[in-house]
Amino acid sequence: MAKYLGVIIDEKRMAAIKGTPLEEKVESIFGGALRRLVIEVPDDLGQKVIDQFTKARFDARGFIEETPAAFKRAIFKRIAEMKELSAAVVEKVLAEDLDKVKEEAAKEDKELPVPDIDISDVLELQKNPVQKPA
Amino acid sequence: MPEVRIKTLPPPHGGKLVDRVVRDPQMARKLMEKCSAVYDIKPTLFKGNPVRNVYREIMSVCYGFFSPVEGSMTKAELESVLEKRRLLSGWVFPYPILFDISEEDFKKLGVGPGDWLLIRLKGEPFAILEIEEVYEIVPGDVAVRTFGTPEKNPEVVKVPFDQKHTGYNIYCSLNPIILAGKYTIINEPKLRPPFDRFWYPPKRAREEFEKRGWTTVIAHQTRNVPHTGHEALMKNAAYIGDIKPCDGIVVNAIVGAKRIGDFPDEAIVEGHEMVHLAGYIKPERHLVTFTLWDMRYGNPIESLIHAVIRQNMGISFHMFGRDHAALGEYYDIFATQILWSKGIPSFGFDAPPYAVDGGFYIRPQNIEEFWFCPKCKEFAYSANCSHKGIYSRYSGSFIRGLINEGVMPPPEIYRPEVYKVVVKWWQKFGYPFNNEKYLKEREERLEVDLPHMELPAHLKK
Repeated sequence: MAKYLGVIIDEKRMAAIKGTPLEEKVESIFGGALRRLVIEVPDDLGQKVIDQFTKARFDARGFIEETPAAFKRAIFKRIAEMKELSAAVVEKVLAEDLDKVKEEAAKEDKELPVPDIDISDVLELQKNPVQKPA
Repeated sequence: MPEVRIKTLPPPHGGKLVDRVVRDPQMARKLMEKCSAVYDIKPTLFKGNPVRNVYREIMSVCYGFFSPVEGSMTKAELESVLEKRRLLSGWVFPYPILFDISEEDFKKLGVGPGDWLLIRLKGEPFAILEIEEVYEIVPGDVAVRTFGTPEKNPEVVKVPFDQKHTGYNIYCSLNPIILAGKYTIINEPKLRPPFDRFWYPPKRAREEFEKRGWTTVIAHQTRNVPHTGHEALMKNAAYIGDIKPCDGIVVNAIVGAKRIGDFPDEAIVEGHEMVHLAGYIKPERHLVTFTLWDMRYGNPIESLIHAVIRQNMGISFHMFGRDHAALGEYYDIFATQILWSKGIPSFGFDAPPYAVDGGFYIRPQNIEEFWFCPKCKEFAYSANCSHKGIYSRYSGSFIRGLINEGVMPPPEIYRPEVYKVVVKWWQKFGYPFNNEKYLKEREERLEVDLPHMELPAHLKK
């Protein structure tokens, strides 16, 4: 059974593949709220990816998830370079980029930058919880 | 005419709620006088990381979540649970509940059957174990038998369990000596915020339901910050009831040491609370609670402990989704629903757990899946929507991946207020998920503090 690797396409990544055949392969998900590219990989290659990262797993949809962000960045970089969505992209990353990915992933496991968003509205709501301690 | 109205809450599993908490300090002192040794609880470690703390099991036993279990299991009880998923009394119970210590500690303590052991937590007296029996286990054997194997349980176990499975690691990491006997909490812990406002042990939960006039209540099991698919599941599953939908929706989070990469428990309970604070479900109909338990991720086996807990809380229905309380591909993704629709004979269930002797009053609500469908313009139920190629399936792992990449989940996935709760705890812990640092710090902090209590003189030596 095939497995899948999804890469989220934000504005910056979209710009990087603009005008290439990859642009047509971008899928909309959640009603257009997000865009992604999907690589289909054979089972054993999927397992090889999972084996590289402690948190990585196949989810119920058959997608390889919870890989480090550094791995997704490397995958996208190779997709843009090779202009294809094939298992060869994943093989290339595993063969040539893995050490760097693992090095970056180790840093990622310790700290991730907190998003700069205003959360004062939820702090206000939490001042008056409906449920109180006994 | 058969009565279709549900007028009362279901009885506790086993008939009577266990309450083994001594609230009178004088009585606590008297009980401590009978103890012959003191033991400081240590977390169970796997490769140096905490994966379990037996204090959570002691809390869940003594406050009645695990009724009718009253303590650490005897060898005969353990065998019965592993063989038949039944206590010696015949009541269904899925997991070994054990007080394990190392051989070295056992020698130091010098205790045996008939002795009472004072258990300390965070340096303070916490509970007493009345030792009935001392025996040895082979932890790996307990682990394999707890979760099953493809050979013995071919209906649902797909591949052998291994060290990528947190629950399996918990049992493999147990100490070999088991002290069996009843627990009694003698120094009632104080729940730390934010957990204190979600602490509804069975007795309090039942009182709360009665105060609210609820007789039909549905449970939502969670180990996640709720996405909109969870919210749709809760709202739609709650249409079951009697002559009207359920009075109440109870979220019961499993709080304890979890796997690296899951959300911190603080964000999970507050994320669910935000569903009612921000008005997506009326707070009059929604109650957020939790149980202290180091999740075993045992899919169908875990669903049985969920049934025990939630029936004891007075809950009448339980939603079971795909991949219930699962991790990896060890079990069939519908294993829990198979158990609750026809049973799994190799695990001791020729019929669903509500239709066997010693089984449950709680009824399953087996739900397939909700997904987001832009054509239906709703969080659609998979048995309704046939817009293949258009709908988007939810995946907790996918959402955690988005957050990991610094992408703010859109409102189609997370309510903005719920995501901001994630950010609140991200600011606090410096990381949005459980990592080694968080798990180690929380294992020192735990979810409780204990009031100071003097040790009796004979135990100070």
